[in-house]
Amino acid sequence: MTDMTQHSASARVTAAGTRRIVTPGTLLMKYGFFLLVLAVFVIFAALRPTFIAPGNIHGMLMSASIAALMFLGLTWLIAAGEIDVSFMSVAALANMTVAGLVAGGAGWPMAALSGLGMGIVFGLLNATLVAGLRLPALVITIASGALAASIAAAIGRGTSIALSSTGFVGGLLDMRLGALPVLALIVAALYALAWGLQEKLTFGRYVYAMEQNRAAVEEAGVPVNRLLFMLYVLSGVVSALAGVLLAAELSSGQPYLGTSYFLDGLTAVLLGGMALKFGKPNVIGTLAAVLFLTGLLNGAALLGWTDSQRQIVRGALLLVGVGLVVFARSRTHKRKTARPETA
Amino acid sequence: MTRTTLFIRILAFAAIVAVIAGLFWLQNPAFLSTGNIRALMRHMSVNGVAALGLTFVIVVRHFDLSFPGVASLGAMTMGWLIAIGQPLSLAIGGGLAVGLLIGIFNGIAIARFKLPDIVTTIATGGLAIGFSYFYSNGTSISRNFFMSGLLDINDGRFLGLDRPFAILLGAALVGLLILNASRFGRAFYATGENRTAAWYSGVPVSAIVIAAFALCGLCACLSIVLLVASSGAANVSAGTQLLMPAFAAVYLGAALFGRPSVLATLAGTMLMSLMLNGFTLLAIPYYYSDAIVSTVLILAITCFDPRISGALRRLLPTRKETPA
Repeated sequence: MTDMTQHSASARVTAAGTRRIVTPGTLLMKYGFFLLVLAVFVIFAALRPTFIAPGNIHGMLMSASIAALMFLGLTWLIAAGEIDVSFMSVAALANMTVAGLVAGGAGWPMAALSGLGMGIVFGLLNATLVAGLRLPALVITIASGALAASIAAAIGRGTSIALSSTGFVGGLLDMRLGALPVLALIVAALYALAWGLQEKLTFGRYVYAMEQNRAAVEEAGVPVNRLLFMLYVLSGVVSALAGVLLAAELSSGQPYLGTSYFLDGLTAVLLGGMALKFGKPNVIGTLAAVLFLTGLLNGAALLGWTDSQRQIVRGALLLVGVGLVVFARSRTHKRKTARPETA
Repeated sequence: MTRTTLFIRILAFAAIVAVIAGLFWLQNPAFLSTGNIRALMRHMSVNGVAALGLTFVIVVRHFDLSFPGVASLGAMTMGWLIAIGQPLSLAIGGGLAVGLLIGIFNGIAIARFKLPDIVTTIATGGLAIGFSYFYSNGTSISRNFFMSGLLDINDGRFLGLDRPFAILLGAALVGLLILNASRFGRAFYATGENRTAAWYSGVPVSAIVIAAFALCGLCACLSIVLLVASSGAANVSAGTQLLMPAFAAVYLGAALFGRPSVLATLAGTMLMSLMLNGFTLLAIPYYYSDAIVSTVLILAITCFDPRISGALRRLLPTRKETPA
């Protein structure tokens, strides 16, 4: 019985996802965001030739890779209709854990594992409270994020920790394959894998179905809580991984590094949702949006914009992103109700 | 909620306060000195006013994450107005107006244009922080503060109470009248419980949501006025310390008293301030304060969740009060 309902439910979701009418308008909505990303790079390259100097490109790829890694879990959580506002603090905590241990004389492997462990601990904490006990996600992740940030600050007694060596993680970051940093290739491969998970497996269908109607998905026999549990743990782990990499990238532990990633993460996920899926967060969109943000903020810095101006750009982009998502949702919804056979 | 359960809840709250106060008093007898109690009340004023505003947003079942950023912008606006020599009333009015305007903007975006509350308020909060850098390029402002009379807000007394605490009580009284003793208050709760039903009952749902966000922005800026008056300088990160205590106060209060209300928020604020003040007296560094607040918040939400407290009650063989 359960098997049958589950099967038919997933089949129906698949049908709704694949059968879409292709018109120039929908094509533009689907792929327009990639043109925007391209436009940013072309415009800044024309304005400031140093923008496409090999050194700058390398720097942008490194920071984009680390940011993209951090936002992977967040993408699926928001796609599933949940929220996690602790990811940047978990990254800061992992970062400070590594820095604190290395400065205290521990080896890099040990320190990196401990940093990852912190991510798992906080991922499990969020997962247990939100997915297991069904407590309100926003307040719980605000609180767990504050807890992580507070521990991060406590490790460095309120200040940053400078590191003399960057160990094997630094070696990994310095590795290049031709002109490309190996890290960027690894993250790209990870995102390709994530795209496969999201598009080819039932996992991805369940994630999007959960956002639409969680009660219905649960009735259909999908282990919603287990799925959500995994997503929160994943978010903690990838955030911590990014934090560990940042310790080597910055050769220091920065207790307050989270604040700059907070707006970027949400902006990347929501703006990225505009690519391919008409407002639904997806991994390729997030990756494109991270490149977009990195290019935009880096280019703006080359043009001499201050931090506050870039902060305003971030906030405005996030607002535009949310507006676009809501607008796109209402458009596609109307189109679906107008032509019942596509829904 | 019946009268007896309310009575039991008040008793439980008094017991928790007494236990916490007693523990700190044992560690450091200075905890219950007049000077410290006055310091505690002042601390409570800043966080309490911000939490009061948030209460309205939580009652209509929305979230506002913008108020720390809005408060920073309010602080810098007020500081700038004082620095260029404007009278104090205009400066404070300017700071409060910023909060009111951004609050209304949030409310309209969420109630009228159906934008998701969490992300929208994160964006407007980020924008507000960005704008707060414009007055002084991010440096803190304290010019003319001494002459303007701003510091009297912190140092003055009113009817025997420190003025910040009197302002908190005044704000709470107004909040109490709006939320828990008027038809407006019914409309807020009705909107939160079931928007469609409220709409069909003639409640102007959108206006109520906008009002809730406007009050939240206004209160955040009022609380930052008190904070700036006590610290003597306005800076761009002034608001960030408001976020956790405000959420903790509202949720702790709601957990203790069954639902968010003005008195519940005051009770939550008092508990938070008791703990933060006590730990400060024990010389625990400032960066642990968020850890303490957030741990208490997580525990409060978990233990007072109806399903979990029900499960705990079933585990314990002791006879508890009959549910209302």
